[in-house]
Amino acid sequence: MTCKKTYRYICDNLDERLDSPRCRQIRQHLENCPKCRAYLDSIKKTVALYKAGIAPDIPASAHRRLMKTIDTEMSHLQKSPARRSPQTGRR
Amino acid sequence: MSSEQLDTATDRQLVRAAKTGDKAAFTSLVRRYEETVYRFSFKMCRDREKAEETLQDTFVNVYRKLGTFDGKSKFSTWLYAIVTNNCLMKQRRRKMQDLEDPLEEYDDPPGTDSSRRRSSARWDETPADQLITKELRSLLDRAIDSLPVDYRVVFVLRDVEGRSNEETAKILHLSVEATKSRLRRARAFLRDKLHPYMTSRERERR
Repeated sequence: MTCKKTYRYICDNLDERLDSPRCRQIRQHLENCPKCRAYLDSIKKTVALYKAGIAPDIPASAHRRLMKTIDTEMSHLQKSPARRSPQTGRR
Repeated sequence: MSSEQLDTATDRQLVRAAKTGDKAAFTSLVRRYEETVYRFSFKMCRDREKAEETLQDTFVNVYRKLGTFDGKSKFSTWLYAIVTNNCLMKQRRRKMQDLEDPLEEYDDPPGTDSSRRRSSARWDETPADQLITKELRSLLDRAIDSLPVDYRVVFVLRDVEGRSNEETAKILHLSVEATKSRLRRARAFLRDKLHPYMTSRERERR
């Protein structure tokens, strides 16, 4: 197992502790290669930082507008189905 | 459906009822997924106004296309495909040049002969969520903003939303191999953007 192959497959698997022969080879390589270990660690930290990143809750005003749009859409479509473009139903 | 039935119904049951014209069932689906759609849109476009616009367009599309949903995949997979498509259309209108950048240089590990990328020096411990500074937050935003949208969508679906390779491939109409390759490049791209900040020597200089 080379650094290049390890690079390719650690990214596929990351935290999935698969027990395939290839994963065993990757783990073996990682044990003996500080460079690949540091790289895997930095990739894991990158993912963790983005996973922890905050996405805002839906604002109450956006929820209200959505409900209104959907309501309008449902009554319009019942009158004249499949006539309107996606933009027309918006606020 | 009664309000109690709406709360306990599966997505499949709600879809079936909504298809027969049950407005309450459709509204229930919207309530169930509006937060997911809004947050996903925000993670993709990093902008509240655009996220709201995408939210509205997505559910209007879902309502209009519900008749074509055949139930072969999960409702959430189908929904992700619609919201992703809306996000991509908006992004592509803004940044056509994204499509010309395949990020091929991220196919090799850093520090090898074939790679011009920065070395694999060790990173410091990453700060806990509550300690993410304004500076790091802005760096994270800038990095993902500069990631071409076709890669960003794979990264957000796989690593942030936690969808599987197979589901991500299905949502994006890609092969699993292509999904994995884009994910590898996207992770490497973002990692390289954060690298200077995350290695102590660079951080001490600030």
